[in-house]
Amino acid sequence: MRATLGQALAAYTAAFAHGRGDLAPAEPATAGGLSFGALVREELASTKSALARGEAMAVAGLLGKASIQDVVEAVSSAELSLQKITAVRDRVIAAYQEILRMPI
Amino acid sequence: MDLDVAMRIASAGMKLQAARLRVVSENLANAESTAPTPEAEPYRRKILEVAARRDRETGATLAAVRRYGVDRSELPLRHLPGHPAADAAGYVRFPNVNPLIELMDMREAQRSYEANLNAMQMARTMLQRTLDILR
Repeated sequence: MRATLGQALAAYTAAFAHGRGDLAPAEPATAGGLSFGALVREELASTKSALARGEAMAVAGLLGKASIQDVVEAVSSAELSLQKITAVRDRVIAAYQEILRMPI
Repeated sequence: MDLDVAMRIASAGMKLQAARLRVVSENLANAESTAPTPEAEPYRRKILEVAARRDRETGATLAAVRRYGVDRSELPLRHLPGHPAADAAGYVRFPNVNPLIELMDMREAQRSYEANLNAMQMARTMLQRTLDILR
C-alpha cells in the first residue's frame, strides 16, 4: 500500500473531526498530505484496474490467447483487491453506525 | 504490493515449467523420428534455455524462456539395413533422445511447478489472512 498506517489513522481522525462539525475544511489535508477520501479513491482506482485486468485476462484465456497461469494470477489478484475494498467499506460503515448509535 | 508481485513471479515460474513440459513431451514423442533419407537429419533433442527477465512494471526478476535450443550431441546409430534412411553400411541415425533423461526432466518440471504453485497459494493465503483482520 502506498499510504502508511499512520497517515491512514491521521486521515481517519481528520475525517472524524470533520464529521463532528469541527472547524475542519471540506477536504481535510492532514500531516501526510493524504486524506482518507483520497486514500479510498486511490484504492478504488487500483481495484477497478485490477478487476478490468482480471476480466480481460479471463476473456483472453477463454479465447486461448492467454495462459491459464496468467488468468489465475490476474483473477485472484482482482478478487483480493475487491475483498480489500469491501472490507474497508464495511469497516467505515460500521464506524459511522457506531457514531449514529451514540447517545447524546 | 509485494504479495501481488510474488503471485506474478510464481505465475511466470509456472508458465516456464509448462514450457519445459512441452519440450519434454516433444522429445519423448519424437524419440523414434528418423529422417526420410540417409542424408537428411533425424529429429534432434530440444533444450529449453531459461533466462532471468526483469519485469519493468514491478521491478521483479521473472523466469522466462529465452529460446528453444537444439541438442548438438552425437546421434546414435542403429543397424537397420531395410530402413529407408539406412546408409550404405545399413546404419540409421536415430534422434539423440534418452527417454530416461526426459522422464527425470519431466519429474523436475512437475516438482518445480508444484513449488511455484505453493508460493502462489501461500501469497494468496497471506493476503487473505491479513484481510480477515478487518472482518
